[in-house]
Amino acid sequence: MAVETTTKRWGMVIDQNRCIGCWTCAVGCKEINNEPLGFWWNRILTASPGETTGESSSTVADPASDSIDVPHGTFPDVDMAYLPVACQHCEDAPCVKVCPVDATFRRDDGTVLVDYERCIGCRYCIAACPYGIRVFNWGDAEQPVDFTIGYGKDYRTDGRLVFTPDRPRGVVEKCTLCVERIDTGEQPFCVEVCPVGARVFGDLDDSESEVAQLVDDGGATQLLPDLGTKPRIFYLPVQQERSV
Amino acid sequence: MAARVDTPGLRAVSLGRSSRIWFALLGILMVWGLGAWIYQLTQGLIATGMRDVVSWGLYIFSFAFFVGLSAGGLIMASGAEVFGVKSLRPLAPIGVLTAAACVLVAAMTIIPDLGNPQRVWEIFRYPNWSSPLVWDVIIIVVYFAFAVTDLVVMHRRSMEKTKRLRTLRILAYVGLPTAVLLHSITAWIFGLQISRPWWNTALMAPLFVTSAILSGTALIALVALVAQRFDRFELPRETWTTLAGLMATALAVDLFLVGSDYVTILWGNVPRERAALDLILPGGSWQWLFWLEWLVGGLVPFVLLVTPRFKIRPGLLALSSVLVMVGVYAFRIELVVGGMIKPLLQLPPGNATGSYRFGQTSFQFQGIYHPTWVEYGIVVALAAFLALLITIGYRWIRSFERAGAPA
Repeated sequence: MAVETTTKRWGMVIDQNRCIGCWTCAVGCKEINNEPLGFWWNRILTASPGETTGESSSTVADPASDSIDVPHGTFPDVDMAYLPVACQHCEDAPCVKVCPVDATFRRDDGTVLVDYERCIGCRYCIAACPYGIRVFNWGDAEQPVDFTIGYGKDYRTDGRLVFTPDRPRGVVEKCTLCVERIDTGEQPFCVEVCPVGARVFGDLDDSESEVAQLVDDGGATQLLPDLGTKPRIFYLPVQQERSV
Repeated sequence: MAARVDTPGLRAVSLGRSSRIWFALLGILMVWGLGAWIYQLTQGLIATGMRDVVSWGLYIFSFAFFVGLSAGGLIMASGAEVFGVKSLRPLAPIGVLTAAACVLVAAMTIIPDLGNPQRVWEIFRYPNWSSPLVWDVIIIVVYFAFAVTDLVVMHRRSMEKTKRLRTLRILAYVGLPTAVLLHSITAWIFGLQISRPWWNTALMAPLFVTSAILSGTALIALVALVAQRFDRFELPRETWTTLAGLMATALAVDLFLVGSDYVTILWGNVPRERAALDLILPGGSWQWLFWLEWLVGGLVPFVLLVTPRFKIRPGLLALSSVLVMVGVYAFRIELVVGGMIKPLLQLPPGNATGSYRFGQTSFQFQGIYHPTWVEYGIVVALAAFLALLITIGYRWIRSFERAGAPA
């Protein structure tokens, strides 16, 4: 059931001031999307505040922390922030540009999706994605349990298979922004399960929406903004006043 | 003629027992590789050493390498016709033959790399014109068709001589831009990617063109040397010195371009750009690539190729040819893996492995790539198939020459 997808301009804001690095969004994502063992569409990196996002750019940013939950710097000058990273749903998405068969495509509402029936498995999109968020079905998918959990059924948009719980071998997959949920008016699952309300999802074109206001306040930044990919996922870096 | 098993390649063109051994050897390698591919089809690409961080491997190095090897045909044909280097004319048939064979094998090398090889036709059905891969497929098809046409025209006896020579001349002029495009578009598969600083340089296309000329010439020199030794294929001395000079020049330009890239990265000292280079420079964990490229495949063959006393000795020319090919292959490895092994965003715990084994973490904490026997088997089989194509093609060309058709 496709509901006015063309009228929206979906975006998300992730507030790093609130994120406690609990991985609930990553686990929730894994569960609702039937991600096989070894797959993570959504990961929580350990970053330095304002370093990986924000004012810094991909040209100057130091590599982030080498470990999970380990602060940057030397005691006592240490600091740490969490940086949840999934598909950034770029407006100028390198993956969409390189896909030879248009299997990765961008819907009018901005969601970047993969057609499981079209993908030839060349993995050019994995090479092209600056955020390293794509996962490939190298072999047969293994599910952690033998009964249906999560969404658990196929989902098509414009006739194209963009989600299936039975992963075909040899195709690339990634965050869909929970397309099957947002098309029916629900929130992406990571937004819904976040215990601290760090994630805000909505229509960037609707100036009344919380997500648009947070972005318009000017404090929101994007990941590796100097690459010009124009992500639709925004971050509120640590030490920034939250205005809502 | 030596009848030793350790030099099977040299018997490629001879008749009788030794050529039977050669064909048998190639046959065994190809059957082995076919078996490896069938195994890979049953298991999926999990049978390879590639995973989500280093998601391109031996197949892609070899693809880029085979594409480069195909450059030779153009150089021999257009060198004689376009630039008037008469001494290269006797090599034109071998050149065009290797061009056709190499580009065909390059195209075949992509197939085992695909997760869904049965869907490869979708590239023609739903082409996305902004993808360099689509353009690469097109130029590969065009170049292959062009090389086959050239080869047929060269050996068409029914065609009147002046008409044939004129056609060959036109083909040489068309072939030049086609070949430059072939190597450039292959380079742009990598060079256009903003997400891989190691790839994202405007030097990539000139580098691919140069290294293609280098390895393509080396392949032709090698084939001609084998033919000279075992098939009484005679070439004027001038041709050998031209070949050696061409290789030395291409090698110098190639290393100049690579060196320019190093200097730019080192002086700029941008962390994300240093990441890959530091692995390769002496002291890095991948320094063996540096030594293969600069010493084994660089300085050593360069000295051999420019020293007058050495460059006319067939054995040393063959050695130089092999060494520069090793150097060019090392460049392909450092390009592909270097670009992928240090992503822009941190790895731990940022990149899923994409596969799971009991007791293992489902994250990749560092970029890892070790090719498996499946990958080696398939690539060796493809190289064997290339050798087979060149052997058969060479015999076909010679059968025309013996029958009196001018080449």
